[in-house]
Amino acid sequence: MTSPNASITPDHSASTNATAPDRPRKLEVADLITIGVFAALYFVMVCVATLVSTLFTGGFGSIFLPAIAALISGCVYMLLAARLGKFGGITVMGVVIGLFLFVSGHFVLSFIASIVFPVAADLIARAGKYKSKALLLVSYVVFSYGLTGPILPLWFMKDAYVASLQARGKDAAYIDGVFANINTGTFFVSMAAILVCALIGGWFGQKMLRKHFIKAGIA
Amino acid sequence: MRSSFSTESVTSDSRTPLQPPAATTAPGAPAFSADTAGLPSARSGSSRRSGLADRTLDPRTKLFLLLTANLMLFFHVTLTTQIIMVVLFLVPLTAAGRWRLTANFAVLYAVLTALGLLDPEALGLPWLHVVSALAVGATMMLPCFMTGAYAFTTTSASAFICAMRRMRVPETVVIPCVVVIRFFPTIAEDYRQIRNAMALRGIASGGWGLVRHPAQSLEYILIPLLMNATTVAQDLSVAALTKGLGREGEHTSRTLIRLRAMDWLAMVAVVIPLILDIAGVIR
Repeated sequence: MTSPNASITPDHSASTNATAPDRPRKLEVADLITIGVFAALYFVMVCVATLVSTLFTGGFGSIFLPAIAALISGCVYMLLAARLGKFGGITVMGVVIGLFLFVSGHFVLSFIASIVFPVAADLIARAGKYKSKALLLVSYVVFSYGLTGPILPLWFMKDAYVASLQARGKDAAYIDGVFANINTGTFFVSMAAILVCALIGGWFGQKMLRKHFIKAGIA
Repeated sequence: MRSSFSTESVTSDSRTPLQPPAATTAPGAPAFSADTAGLPSARSGSSRRSGLADRTLDPRTKLFLLLTANLMLFFHVTLTTQIIMVVLFLVPLTAAGRWRLTANFAVLYAVLTALGLLDPEALGLPWLHVVSALAVGATMMLPCFMTGAYAFTTTSASAFICAMRRMRVPETVVIPCVVVIRFFPTIAEDYRQIRNAMALRGIASGGWGLVRHPAQSLEYILIPLLMNATTVAQDLSVAALTKGLGREGEHTSRTLIRLRAMDWLAMVAVVIPLILDIAGVIR
């Protein structure tokens, strides 16, 4: 870390400093705070998505949570990518979101998903130097799959119910019949919904970015 | 909006030479004393939550409880184990004085367990399988939500941060977490102001107004929030760097966290049923 003044200058002239000679575009405290602010907004979006998803699908709760979150948080993601333009930002945001999901009582696997997918998304966005529209869109789609963690227990729950049916002496054919329509169908519908919604959400986000932030000189 | 964003608390957990003592602690209180429980006067001015600090567990223990709840989900524990664990998880919540939350969870768990035990065949109502399956699923998730609610409602931000630093979480993750916790109230405040401004111009003022034009509502609410977020991020950076958040080396903390006998007891207590279940002793 350099002196405070150097690290908040927008043009990162401090990157030539001796502390980071081999990685010139390292994340600094100012960047971390920006990530925190956007992660908070993203987390609020996830909460809104949980609410909407629960209203729509009733008991199944969060099955469409990643899709709805992807639909509404494109702006947040695109603005973060445009503001930061450094490797690591998207990853850190994903990790922080995963941490908060874990602490608020979600499944621990959601933490793994929210590390793997954001890293992939970050790499894709870096390939386009955080400028290429198409690659940013692809990276947003990949990032959106990071939220599949919270809904993975649905498939664990299925096993639990099967086990409880077996314990009560039902035969396998009967159990298969019960789960014929809940099994793989919903999984693929949910995954496809994420893809479509992330594309729409990302496109909407880029449109908003063009309309509001580039003109104002913020992005 | 920006005036509501005081520059004081992003680093209130990390004590640096530049930082004045936090308002919640009485002046002159020995900040590096080993035990907060022995200092009732130092805690007298603080909020209700930190007044109960000595009755809640260490943040690390809370994380451990969360992990155990997750492992239960993973290993498909039997019903007996589940009930034992749920009771164990509810004890610290009661000890922290969250009576209503405890009661809600207990009733919810009891109802869901009863629903999960229904036998649709015997009742002659095959469609009940949907209800029963959902109930079994929800009961499995419930321990996670219980421990999560416990961790969320009883941990102060600075205790959480202090615990993360003790667990050697890199600063790259700690700083955004501080900001996230700090930023939530600001988002709520901004949202209220935006809705007021929209109502003043007659946009989406009714209850269903937001739902009628979802894309427009999203734009009108999210864009000002994002605009404000970018300025706030800059303000926060300046404030935080002034207070020494960017300093290298170890940061000390005002909040003291310690693993006491109670914490170890809680950890052992929740692990024993889980191990017995995996070993197949409890059926």
